[in-house]
Amino acid sequence: MLWYKAWLETRWRFVIGLAILMVSACGTVFAYPQVMRLMPLASTVHATGELGRRVQEAVELAREYRGYIWSQWFRQNLIQMWTVFAAILGAGGLLSQSSGGGALYTLSMPASRARLLGVRAAAGLGELLALAVVPSLLISLLSPAIGDSYSPVDALVHSACLFFGGAVFYALAVLLSTIFPDIWRPLAIALAVAAVIAIGEMFVRDVWPYGIFSLMNGETYFRSRHIPWAGLVVTTAAAAALLYGAASSLERQDF
Amino acid sequence: MADAPVIDVAGLQKRYGSIDAVRGLDLQVPRGSIFGFLGRNGAGKTTTIKVLLGMTRPSGGAARVFGLAADAPGASVEIRRRTGFVSEDKELYDFMTVAEIVRFTAPFFPRWRRDLEERYMRSFELPPDAKVKTLSRGTRTKLALLLALCRGAELLVLDEPTAGLDPAAAEDVLQTLVVHAGRDETTVFFSSHQIAEVEQIADRIAIVDRGRTALAGALDDLRESFRRVQLVFDREAPQASFRAAGVARVRRQGRVLTVIASGGAEPILDEARALGPVSVDVGPVTLKEIFLETVASEE
Repeated sequence: MLWYKAWLETRWRFVIGLAILMVSACGTVFAYPQVMRLMPLASTVHATGELGRRVQEAVELAREYRGYIWSQWFRQNLIQMWTVFAAILGAGGLLSQSSGGGALYTLSMPASRARLLGVRAAAGLGELLALAVVPSLLISLLSPAIGDSYSPVDALVHSACLFFGGAVFYALAVLLSTIFPDIWRPLAIALAVAAVIAIGEMFVRDVWPYGIFSLMNGETYFRSRHIPWAGLVVTTAAAAALLYGAASSLERQDF
Repeated sequence: MADAPVIDVAGLQKRYGSIDAVRGLDLQVPRGSIFGFLGRNGAGKTTTIKVLLGMTRPSGGAARVFGLAADAPGASVEIRRRTGFVSEDKELYDFMTVAEIVRFTAPFFPRWRRDLEERYMRSFELPPDAKVKTLSRGTRTKLALLLALCRGAELLVLDEPTAGLDPAAAEDVLQTLVVHAGRDETTVFFSSHQIAEVEQIADRIAIVDRGRTALAGALDDLRESFRRVQLVFDREAPQASFRAAGVARVRRQGRVLTVIASGGAEPILDEARALGPVSVDVGPVTLKEIFLETVASEE
Protein backbone atom coordinates (compact mmCIF):
# COMPACT_ATOMS: atom_id res chain seq x y z
CA MET A 1 0.00 0.00 0.00
CA LEU A 2 2.98 2.30 0.33
CA TRP A 3 3.23 2.06 -3.47
CA TYR A 4 -0.33 3.22 -3.74
CA LYS A 5 0.36 6.20 -1.46
CA ALA A 6 3.55 7.09 -3.37
CA TRP A 7 1.57 6.98 -6.61
CA LEU A 8 -1.23 9.18 -5.23
CA GLU A 9 1.32 11.70 -3.95
CA THR A 10 3.21 12.02 -7.22
CA ARG A 11 0.67 11.16 -9.90
CA TRP A 12 -0.08 14.72 -10.97
CA ARG A 13 3.57 15.63 -11.30
CA PHE A 14 4.07 12.47 -13.35
CA VAL A 15 1.00 12.92 -15.54
CA ILE A 16 1.82 16.56 -16.26
CA GLY A 17 5.42 15.61 -17.10
CA LEU A 18 4.30 12.80 -19.36
CA ALA A 19 1.81 15.04 -21.16
CA ILE A 20 4.38 17.77 -21.73
CA LEU A 21 7.02 15.35 -22.98
CA MET A 22 4.58 13.58 -25.31
CA VAL A 23 3.45 16.87 -26.82
CA SER A 24 7.09 17.83 -27.23
CA ALA A 25 7.86 14.47 -28.89
CA CYS A 26 4.99 15.00 -31.34
CA GLY A 27 6.26 18.51 -32.09
CA THR A 28 9.77 17.22 -32.72
CA VAL A 29 8.56 14.63 -35.24
CA PHE A 30 6.13 16.84 -37.12
CA ALA A 31 8.60 19.75 -37.32
CA TYR A 32 11.05 17.68 -39.37
CA PRO A 33 9.47 18.30 -42.82
CA GLN A 34 9.60 22.04 -42.09
CA VAL A 35 13.25 21.73 -41.04
CA MET A 36 14.08 19.96 -44.31
CA ARG A 37 12.36 22.71 -46.30
CA LEU A 38 14.49 25.31 -44.53
CA MET A 39 17.71 23.34 -44.97
CA PRO A 40 18.84 25.21 -48.15
CA LEU A 41 18.82 28.42 -46.12
CA ALA A 42 21.26 26.95 -43.58
CA SER A 43 24.24 27.80 -45.76
CA THR A 44 23.37 31.49 -45.46
CA VAL A 45 23.72 31.43 -41.68
CA HIS A 46 27.11 32.81 -40.58
CA ALA A 47 27.53 32.50 -36.85
CA THR A 48 30.94 32.36 -35.22
CA GLY A 49 32.36 30.88 -32.04
CA GLU A 50 30.72 28.13 -29.98
CA LEU A 51 27.24 29.16 -31.13
CA GLY A 52 28.22 28.97 -34.77
CA ARG A 53 29.83 25.60 -34.26
CA ARG A 54 26.69 24.25 -32.59
CA VAL A 55 24.40 25.65 -35.29
CA GLN A 56 26.58 24.10 -37.97
CA GLU A 57 26.64 20.81 -36.14
CA ALA A 58 22.84 20.81 -35.75
CA VAL A 59 22.41 21.52 -39.44
CA GLU A 60 24.73 18.68 -40.39
CA LEU A 61 22.96 16.27 -38.02
CA ALA A 62 19.54 17.27 -39.33
CA ARG A 63 20.40 16.12 -42.84
CA GLU A 64 19.53 12.62 -41.60
CA TYR A 65 16.37 11.89 -39.62
CA ARG A 66 18.26 9.81 -37.04
CA GLY A 67 20.68 12.68 -36.49
CA TYR A 68 17.84 15.19 -36.24
CA ILE A 69 16.00 13.13 -33.61
CA TRP A 70 19.14 12.71 -31.56
CA SER A 71 20.10 16.37 -31.83
CA GLN A 72 16.67 17.85 -31.19
CA TRP A 73 15.06 15.29 -28.94
CA PHE A 74 17.62 13.29 -26.98
CA ARG A 75 20.25 16.03 -26.79
CA GLN A 76 17.95 18.98 -26.15
CA ASN A 77 14.22 18.75 -25.46
CA LEU A 78 14.00 15.42 -23.64
CA ILE A 79 17.15 15.76 -21.55
CA GLN A 80 16.28 19.27 -20.35
CA MET A 81 12.65 18.62 -19.47
CA TRP A 82 13.32 15.17 -18.08
CA THR A 83 15.99 16.55 -15.72
CA VAL A 84 13.53 19.16 -14.47
CA PHE A 85 10.91 16.48 -13.79
CA ALA A 86 13.53 14.27 -12.11
CA ALA A 87 14.10 17.07 -9.60
CA ILE A 88 10.35 17.74 -9.26
CA LEU A 89 9.56 14.08 -8.60
CA GLY A 90 12.45 13.71 -6.15
CA ALA A 91 11.51 16.75 -4.08
CA GLY A 92 9.17 16.37 -1.11
CA GLY A 93 8.48 13.34 1.02
CA LEU A 94 8.22 12.58 4.70
CA LEU A 95 10.11 15.59 6.06
CA SER A 96 8.13 18.10 4.01
CA GLN A 97 4.94 16.48 5.33
CA SER A 98 5.98 16.89 8.96
CA SER A 99 3.84 19.99 9.40
CA GLY A 100 0.26 18.83 8.94
CA GLY A 101 1.02 16.68 5.90
CA GLY A 102 0.44 13.30 7.46
CA ALA A 103 4.06 12.44 8.32
CA LEU A 104 3.12 11.27 11.82
CA TYR A 105 0.41 9.05 10.37
CA THR A 106 2.94 7.49 8.00
CA LEU A 107 5.42 7.06 10.83
CA SER A 108 2.78 5.32 12.96
CA MET A 109 2.64 2.51 10.39
CA PRO A 110 4.66 -0.63 11.09
CA ALA A 111 7.21 0.13 8.37
CA SER A 112 10.83 1.14 8.75
CA ARG A 113 11.91 4.54 7.50
CA ALA A 114 14.23 2.84 5.03
CA ARG A 115 11.24 1.01 3.57
CA LEU A 116 9.19 4.21 3.44
CA LEU A 117 11.93 5.99 1.55
CA GLY A 118 12.75 2.96 -0.59
CA VAL A 119 9.19 2.56 -1.84
CA ARG A 120 8.85 6.25 -2.60
CA ALA A 121 12.19 6.32 -4.42
CA ALA A 122 11.33 3.21 -6.41
CA ALA A 123 7.95 4.64 -7.38
CA GLY A 124 9.61 7.89 -8.49
CA LEU A 125 12.25 6.02 -10.48
CA GLY A 126 9.52 4.00 -12.16
CA GLU A 127 7.77 7.19 -13.17
CA LEU A 128 11.04 8.65 -14.45
CA LEU A 129 11.68 5.53 -16.51
CA ALA A 130 8.25 5.96 -18.06
CA LEU A 131 9.00 9.64 -18.72
CA ALA A 132 12.15 8.60 -20.59
CA VAL A 133 10.76 5.64 -22.51
CA VAL A 134 7.16 6.46 -23.44
CA PRO A 135 7.72 9.78 -25.29
CA SER A 136 10.79 8.34 -27.03
CA LEU A 137 8.87 5.31 -28.26
CA LEU A 138 6.16 7.70 -29.40
CA ILE A 139 8.73 9.15 -31.80
CA SER A 140 9.26 5.69 -33.33
CA LEU A 141 5.51 5.29 -33.52
CA LEU A 142 4.84 8.66 -35.18
CA SER A 143 7.78 8.79 -37.58
CA PRO A 144 6.02 6.82 -40.38
CA ALA A 145 3.40 9.59 -40.42
CA ILE A 146 5.99 11.92 -41.99
CA GLY A 147 7.46 9.22 -44.21
CA ASP A 148 10.48 8.46 -42.00
CA SER A 149 11.35 5.83 -39.45
CA TYR A 150 13.15 5.78 -36.16
CA SER A 151 14.33 2.53 -34.61
CA PRO A 152 12.54 1.58 -31.36
CA VAL A 153 15.81 -0.05 -30.26
CA ASP A 154 17.60 3.29 -30.63
CA ALA A 155 14.79 4.95 -28.71
CA LEU A 156 15.09 2.42 -25.89
CA VAL A 157 18.89 2.65 -25.70
CA HIS A 158 18.84 6.45 -25.57
CA SER A 159 16.06 6.34 -22.97
CA ALA A 160 18.08 3.91 -20.88
CA CYS A 161 21.14 6.19 -21.09
CA LEU A 162 18.97 9.11 -20.00
CA PHE A 163 17.43 7.18 -17.12
CA PHE A 164 20.53 5.52 -15.72
CA GLY A 165 22.67 8.58 -16.28
CA GLY A 166 20.17 11.11 -14.94
CA ALA A 167 18.81 9.15 -11.97
CA VAL A 168 21.56 10.85 -10.01
CA PHE A 169 19.63 14.17 -10.16
CA TYR A 170 16.51 12.45 -8.85
CA ALA A 171 18.52 10.84 -6.05
CA LEU A 172 20.08 14.21 -5.21
CA ALA A 173 16.60 15.76 -4.85
CA VAL A 174 15.54 12.83 -2.64
CA LEU A 175 18.61 13.29 -0.43
CA LEU A 176 18.03 17.04 -0.14
CA SER A 177 14.41 16.34 0.77
CA THR A 178 15.61 14.46 3.85
CA ILE A 179 17.55 17.54 4.93
CA PHE A 180 15.22 20.46 4.18
CA PRO A 181 11.65 20.41 5.53
CA ASP A 182 10.13 22.03 2.45
CA ILE A 183 9.75 21.08 -1.18
CA TRP A 184 11.32 24.17 -2.75
CA ARG A 185 14.92 24.11 -1.55
CA PRO A 186 15.57 20.51 -2.66
CA LEU A 187 14.03 21.33 -6.03
CA ALA A 188 15.96 24.58 -6.47
CA ILE A 189 19.30 23.13 -5.36
CA ALA A 190 18.98 19.99 -7.51
CA LEU A 191 18.10 22.11 -10.56
CA ALA A 192 20.93 24.54 -9.83
CA VAL A 193 23.43 21.67 -9.59
CA ALA A 194 22.16 20.26 -12.91
CA ALA A 195 22.40 23.69 -14.57
CA VAL A 196 25.94 24.30 -13.32
CA ILE A 197 27.07 20.87 -14.54
CA ALA A 198 25.40 21.37 -17.93
CA ILE A 199 27.03 24.76 -18.43
CA GLY A 200 30.37 23.47 -17.21
CA GLU A 201 30.24 20.53 -19.61
CA MET A 202 29.53 22.87 -22.50
CA PHE A 203 32.82 24.68 -21.91
CA VAL A 204 35.02 21.63 -21.34
CA ARG A 205 33.52 19.18 -23.84
CA ASP A 206 36.50 19.47 -26.21
CA VAL A 207 38.98 18.45 -23.53
CA TRP A 208 36.74 16.28 -21.35
CA PRO A 209 34.06 14.45 -23.35
CA TYR A 210 32.82 12.30 -20.44
CA GLY A 211 30.25 14.59 -18.89
CA ILE A 212 27.02 13.33 -17.36
CA PHE A 213 24.83 15.09 -19.93
CA SER A 214 26.82 13.53 -22.78
CA LEU A 215 26.17 10.22 -21.08
CA MET A 216 22.47 10.98 -20.64
CA ASN A 217 21.96 11.91 -24.30
CA GLY A 218 23.68 8.71 -25.43
CA GLU A 219 26.18 10.48 -27.70
CA THR A 220 28.54 7.50 -27.67
CA TYR A 221 25.76 5.21 -28.84
CA PHE A 222 24.64 7.69 -31.48
CA ARG A 223 28.11 8.10 -32.96
CA SER A 224 29.60 4.61 -32.53
CA ARG A 225 26.71 2.30 -31.53
CA HIS A 226 28.55 1.49 -28.32
CA ILE A 227 26.67 1.63 -25.06
CA PRO A 228 28.65 3.63 -22.45
CA TRP A 229 28.55 0.92 -19.80
CA ALA A 230 31.28 2.36 -17.60
CA GLY A 231 29.63 5.75 -17.35
CA LEU A 232 26.22 4.25 -16.68
CA VAL A 233 27.63 2.04 -13.92
CA VAL A 234 29.31 5.06 -12.31
CA THR A 235 26.17 7.24 -12.37
CA THR A 236 23.95 4.39 -11.21
CA ALA A 237 26.34 3.76 -8.31
CA ALA A 238 26.33 7.49 -7.52
CA ALA A 239 22.52 7.53 -7.51
CA ALA A 240 22.47 4.47 -5.25
CA ALA A 241 24.96 6.13 -2.90
CA LEU A 242 22.83 9.28 -2.74
CA LEU A 243 19.70 7.23 -1.97
CA TYR A 244 21.60 5.35 0.74
CA GLY A 245 22.63 8.72 2.16
CA ALA A 246 18.99 9.82 2.03
CA ALA A 247 17.91 6.72 3.98
CA SER A 248 20.60 7.35 6.60
CA SER A 249 19.63 11.01 6.86
CA LEU A 250 15.94 10.16 7.27
CA GLU A 251 16.75 7.59 9.95
CA ARG A 252 18.39 10.33 12.04
CA GLN A 253 15.53 12.83 11.76
CA ASP A 254 13.26 13.66 14.69
CA PHE A 255 9.62 14.29 13.84
CA MET B 1 5.80 -11.20 31.95
CA ALA B 2 2.01 -10.87 32.24
CA ASP B 3 2.39 -8.21 34.91
CA ALA B 4 5.14 -6.29 33.15
CA PRO B 5 4.03 -2.76 32.28
CA VAL B 6 3.05 -2.21 28.67
CA ILE B 7 4.95 1.08 28.75
CA ASP B 8 8.04 1.38 30.92
CA VAL B 9 9.96 4.64 30.78
CA ALA B 10 12.95 5.38 33.02
CA GLY B 11 14.89 8.63 33.18
CA LEU B 12 13.80 9.63 29.68
CA GLN B 13 15.44 12.75 28.30
CA LYS B 14 14.94 14.61 25.05
CA ARG B 15 16.80 17.74 24.13
CA TYR B 16 16.10 19.89 21.05
CA GLY B 17 19.11 22.16 20.67
CA SER B 18 19.27 24.10 23.92
CA ILE B 19 15.74 23.16 24.99
CA ASP B 20 15.07 20.24 27.31
CA ALA B 21 11.66 18.93 26.26
CA VAL B 22 11.84 15.91 28.56
CA ARG B 23 14.07 15.85 31.63
CA GLY B 24 14.30 12.46 33.30
CA LEU B 25 10.71 11.28 32.96
CA ASP B 26 9.61 8.00 34.62
CA LEU B 27 6.43 6.18 33.71
CA GLN B 28 4.91 2.73 34.07
CA VAL B 29 1.63 1.93 32.34
CA PRO B 30 0.09 -1.37 33.51
CA ARG B 31 -1.55 -3.70 31.02
CA GLY B 32 -5.30 -3.14 30.68
CA SER B 33 -5.33 0.29 32.27
CA ILE B 34 -6.76 3.52 30.92
CA PHE B 35 -3.88 5.82 31.67
CA GLY B 36 -4.25 9.61 31.59
CA PHE B 37 -1.08 11.51 30.87
CA LEU B 38 -1.75 14.98 32.22
CA GLY B 39 0.27 18.08 31.79
CA ARG B 40 0.24 21.67 30.70
CA ASN B 41 1.03 22.65 27.13
CA GLY B 42 4.73 22.12 26.52
CA ALA B 43 5.13 19.80 29.49
CA GLY B 44 6.65 17.05 27.33
CA LYS B 45 3.61 14.85 26.67
CA THR B 46 3.77 14.81 22.88
CA THR B 47 7.54 14.38 22.85
CA THR B 48 7.23 11.37 25.17
CA ILE B 49 4.60 9.83 22.88
CA LYS B 50 6.80 10.39 19.84
CA VAL B 51 9.69 8.66 21.58
CA LEU B 52 7.47 5.70 22.47
CA LEU B 53 6.50 5.27 18.80
CA GLY B 54 10.00 5.72 17.39
CA MET B 55 9.23 9.07 15.77
CA THR B 56 11.81 10.87 17.86
CA ARG B 57 15.03 9.49 19.32
CA PRO B 58 15.63 10.01 23.04
CA SER B 59 18.70 11.93 24.20
CA GLY B 60 18.96 9.76 27.31
CA GLY B 61 17.19 7.24 29.49
CA ALA B 62 15.18 4.27 28.33
CA ALA B 63 11.70 3.81 26.88
CA ARG B 64 10.27 0.32 26.41
CA VAL B 65 6.90 -0.67 24.99
CA PHE B 66 5.82 -4.34 25.26
CA GLY B 67 9.33 -4.86 26.66
CA LEU B 68 10.87 -3.66 23.36
CA ALA B 69 13.29 -0.74 23.15
CA ALA B 70 11.45 2.12 21.47
CA ASP B 71 14.62 3.58 19.95
CA ALA B 72 15.68 0.37 18.18
CA PRO B 73 14.42 0.64 14.56
CA GLY B 74 13.42 -3.03 14.23
CA ALA B 75 11.71 -3.17 17.63
CA SER B 76 9.97 0.11 16.88
CA VAL B 77 8.29 -1.41 13.81
CA GLU B 78 6.98 -4.26 15.99
CA ILE B 79 5.75 -1.74 18.61
CA ARG B 80 3.80 0.14 15.95
CA ARG B 81 2.34 -3.09 14.58
CA ARG B 82 0.73 -3.64 18.00
CA THR B 83 -0.24 -0.02 18.68
CA GLY B 84 -3.00 2.28 17.52
CA PHE B 85 -2.12 5.97 17.40
CA VAL B 86 -4.01 9.23 17.07
CA SER B 87 -1.86 12.33 16.78
CA GLU B 88 -2.65 15.65 18.39
CA ASP B 89 -3.47 17.35 15.08
CA LYS B 90 -5.30 14.26 13.77
CA GLU B 91 -2.84 14.19 10.90
CA LEU B 92 -4.10 12.06 8.05
CA TYR B 93 -3.68 12.12 4.28
CA ASP B 94 -5.70 15.01 2.94
CA PHE B 95 -5.35 13.77 -0.64
CA MET B 96 -7.09 10.48 0.08
CA THR B 97 -10.77 9.78 0.53
CA VAL B 98 -12.09 8.16 3.70
CA ALA B 99 -12.38 4.80 1.94
CA GLU B 100 -8.89 5.14 0.45
CA ILE B 101 -7.17 5.83 3.76
CA VAL B 102 -8.97 2.88 5.36
CA ARG B 103 -7.94 0.70 2.42
CA PHE B 104 -4.37 2.02 2.72
CA THR B 105 -4.10 1.35 6.46
CA ALA B 106 -5.74 -2.06 6.84
CA PRO B 107 -3.10 -4.24 5.10
CA PHE B 108 -0.38 -3.07 7.51
CA PHE B 109 -2.15 -4.70 10.44
CA PRO B 110 -2.66 -8.48 10.41
CA ARG B 111 -5.32 -8.21 13.12
CA TRP B 112 -7.33 -5.48 11.36
CA ARG B 113 -10.94 -5.60 12.56
CA ARG B 114 -13.29 -5.51 9.57
CA ASP B 115 -16.27 -5.84 11.91
CA LEU B 116 -15.25 -2.71 13.82
CA GLU B 117 -14.47 -0.89 10.58
CA GLU B 118 -18.02 -1.46 9.36
CA ARG B 119 -19.51 -0.64 12.74
CA TYR B 120 -17.61 2.62 13.21
CA MET B 121 -18.11 3.71 9.60
CA ARG B 122 -21.83 3.50 10.32
CA SER B 123 -21.94 4.84 13.87
CA PHE B 124 -19.51 7.70 13.16
CA GLU B 125 -21.43 8.46 9.93
CA LEU B 126 -18.20 8.68 7.94
CA PRO B 127 -18.69 9.47 4.23
CA PRO B 128 -16.54 6.91 2.33
CA ASP B 129 -16.13 9.02 -0.80
CA ALA B 130 -15.34 12.34 0.89
CA LYS B 131 -11.77 13.63 0.73
CA VAL B 132 -10.14 13.74 4.15
CA LYS B 133 -9.34 17.43 3.68
CA THR B 134 -13.06 18.24 3.46
CA LEU B 135 -13.95 16.63 6.81
CA SER B 136 -14.90 18.73 9.82
CA ARG B 137 -12.63 18.60 12.88
CA GLY B 138 -15.01 16.25 14.67
CA THR B 139 -15.43 13.88 11.72
CA ARG B 140 -11.70 13.88 11.14
CA THR B 141 -11.12 12.91 14.77
CA LYS B 142 -13.64 10.09 14.44
CA LEU B 143 -11.88 8.84 11.31
CA ALA B 144 -8.52 8.97 13.10
CA LEU B 145 -10.07 7.03 15.96
CA LEU B 146 -11.52 4.41 13.59
CA LEU B 147 -8.11 3.97 11.98
CA ALA B 148 -6.54 3.46 15.41
CA LEU B 149 -9.22 1.22 16.92
CA CYS B 150 -9.53 -1.15 13.94
CA ARG B 151 -5.84 -2.07 14.05
CA GLY B 152 -6.65 -4.75 16.61
CA ALA B 153 -4.00 -3.11 18.75
CA GLU B 154 -3.00 -4.12 22.26
CA LEU B 155 -2.19 -0.50 23.06
CA LEU B 156 -3.85 2.73 22.03
CA VAL B 157 -1.73 5.87 22.23
CA LEU B 158 -3.82 8.99 21.84
CA ASP B 159 -2.36 12.46 21.92
CA GLU B 160 -5.04 14.93 23.03
CA PRO B 161 -7.82 12.87 21.39
CA THR B 162 -10.58 15.39 22.10
CA ALA B 163 -8.63 18.58 21.35
CA GLY B 164 -10.76 21.06 19.42
CA LEU B 165 -13.99 19.06 19.72
CA ASP B 166 -17.29 20.39 21.01
CA PRO B 167 -18.51 18.78 24.27
CA ALA B 168 -20.90 16.39 22.49
CA ALA B 169 -18.26 15.15 20.07
CA ALA B 170 -15.71 14.86 22.88
CA GLU B 171 -18.16 12.78 24.89
CA ASP B 172 -18.71 10.50 21.86
CA VAL B 173 -14.98 9.94 21.56
CA LEU B 174 -14.52 9.22 25.27
CA GLN B 175 -17.42 6.78 25.38
CA THR B 176 -16.09 4.97 22.32
CA LEU B 177 -12.72 4.64 24.01
CA VAL B 178 -14.15 3.31 27.25
CA VAL B 179 -16.34 0.77 25.48
CA HIS B 180 -13.51 -0.35 23.22
CA ALA B 181 -11.01 -0.68 26.05
CA GLY B 182 -13.47 -2.65 28.18
CA ARG B 183 -14.52 -4.97 25.36
CA ASP B 184 -11.11 -5.69 23.83
CA GLU B 185 -8.97 -5.38 27.00
CA THR B 186 -6.86 -2.78 25.28
CA THR B 187 -4.47 -0.60 27.23
CA VAL B 188 -5.21 3.06 26.58
CA PHE B 189 -2.54 5.70 27.09
CA PHE B 190 -3.84 9.17 26.36
CA SER B 191 -2.45 12.60 26.92
CA SER B 192 -4.62 15.54 27.81
CA HIS B 193 -4.78 18.80 29.60
CA GLN B 194 -8.56 18.41 29.96
CA ILE B 195 -8.72 17.31 33.58
CA ALA B 196 -12.43 16.54 33.54
CA GLU B 197 -12.10 13.97 30.77
CA VAL B 198 -9.14 12.32 32.43
CA GLU B 199 -11.13 12.10 35.64
CA GLN B 200 -14.05 10.66 33.66
CA ILE B 201 -12.32 7.70 32.03
CA ALA B 202 -8.83 7.13 33.46
CA ASP B 203 -8.08 4.63 36.20
CA ARG B 204 -4.44 5.68 36.48
CA ILE B 205 -2.72 8.98 35.81
CA ALA B 206 0.65 10.62 35.61
CA ILE B 207 1.07 14.36 35.89
CA VAL B 208 4.03 15.57 33.91
CA ASP B 209 5.49 19.01 34.33
CA ARG B 210 8.54 20.52 32.69
CA GLY B 211 9.59 17.17 31.30
CA ARG B 212 9.41 15.26 34.58
CA THR B 213 6.81 13.05 36.21
CA ALA B 214 5.51 15.12 39.09
CA LEU B 215 2.93 12.61 40.31
CA ALA B 216 1.74 9.16 39.24
CA GLY B 217 -0.54 6.47 40.50
CA ALA B 218 -4.03 5.00 40.56
CA LEU B 219 -6.60 7.77 40.43
CA ASP B 220 -8.58 6.38 43.38
CA ASP B 221 -5.42 6.14 45.49
CA LEU B 222 -4.49 9.71 44.67
CA ARG B 223 -7.96 10.94 45.50
CA GLU B 224 -7.76 9.02 48.77
CA SER B 225 -4.36 10.33 49.75
CA PHE B 226 -4.96 13.97 48.88
CA ARG B 227 -7.00 15.84 51.48
CA ARG B 228 -8.01 19.41 52.04
CA VAL B 229 -7.84 20.56 55.66
CA GLN B 230 -9.66 23.83 56.20
CA LEU B 231 -9.10 25.73 59.45
CA VAL B 232 -11.42 28.63 60.34
CA PHE B 233 -10.26 31.11 62.98
CA ASP B 234 -12.14 33.81 64.94
CA ARG B 235 -9.34 36.16 63.95
CA GLU B 236 -6.98 36.62 61.01
CA ALA B 237 -5.56 33.18 60.13
CA PRO B 238 -2.00 32.87 61.49
CA GLN B 239 1.13 32.34 59.46
CA ALA B 240 1.79 28.63 59.75
CA SER B 241 4.42 26.20 58.66
CA PHE B 242 3.84 22.49 59.13
CA ARG B 243 6.53 20.01 60.06
CA ALA B 244 4.51 16.97 58.96
CA ALA B 245 5.41 15.40 55.64
CA GLY B 246 3.02 15.62 52.70
CA VAL B 247 1.92 19.23 53.01
CA ALA B 248 1.53 20.23 49.38
CA ARG B 249 0.29 23.75 49.95
CA VAL B 250 -0.81 26.19 52.64
CA ARG B 251 -3.04 29.11 51.70
CA ARG B 252 -4.20 31.98 53.98
CA GLN B 253 -7.26 33.95 53.08
CA GLY B 254 -8.76 36.16 55.80
CA ARG B 255 -9.82 33.96 58.70
CA VAL B 256 -9.39 30.75 56.69
CA LEU B 257 -6.24 28.65 56.42
CA THR B 258 -6.39 25.88 53.80
CA VAL B 259 -3.87 23.06 53.76
CA ILE B 260 -3.62 20.57 50.90
CA ALA B 261 -2.04 17.35 52.13
CA SER B 262 -0.78 14.67 49.77
CA GLY B 263 -0.34 11.95 52.41
CA GLY B 264 -3.75 12.06 54.05
CA ALA B 265 -5.00 14.52 56.72
CA GLU B 266 -4.01 12.62 59.85
CA PRO B 267 -0.33 13.61 59.99
CA ILE B 268 -1.15 17.33 60.09
CA LEU B 269 -4.31 17.40 62.21
CA ASP B 270 -2.50 17.64 65.55
CA GLU B 271 -0.39 20.52 64.30
CA ALA B 272 -3.48 22.19 62.84
CA ARG B 273 -5.48 21.96 66.06
CA ALA B 274 -2.57 23.41 68.01
CA LEU B 275 -3.10 26.65 66.09
CA GLY B 276 -6.44 27.13 67.90
CA PRO B 277 -8.98 27.25 65.07
CA VAL B 278 -12.69 27.45 65.82
CA SER B 279 -13.33 24.68 63.32
CA VAL B 280 -11.36 22.04 61.41
CA ASP B 281 -12.89 20.56 58.31
CA VAL B 282 -11.30 17.70 56.33
CA GLY B 283 -12.56 17.13 52.78
CA PRO B 284 -11.69 15.42 49.50
CA VAL B 285 -9.70 17.09 46.76
CA THR B 286 -10.66 17.07 43.09
CA LEU B 287 -8.25 15.96 40.39
CA LYS B 288 -8.15 19.54 39.19
CA GLU B 289 -6.90 20.66 42.59
CA ILE B 290 -4.39 17.81 42.72
CA PHE B 291 -3.15 18.82 39.29
CA LEU B 292 -2.91 22.50 40.13
CA GLU B 293 -1.19 21.84 43.45
CA THR B 294 1.23 19.40 41.85
CA VAL B 295 2.12 21.76 39.04
CA ALA B 296 2.32 24.73 41.40
CA SER B 297 4.55 22.89 43.87
CA GLU B 298 6.88 21.99 40.97
CA GLU B 299 7.28 25.69 40.38
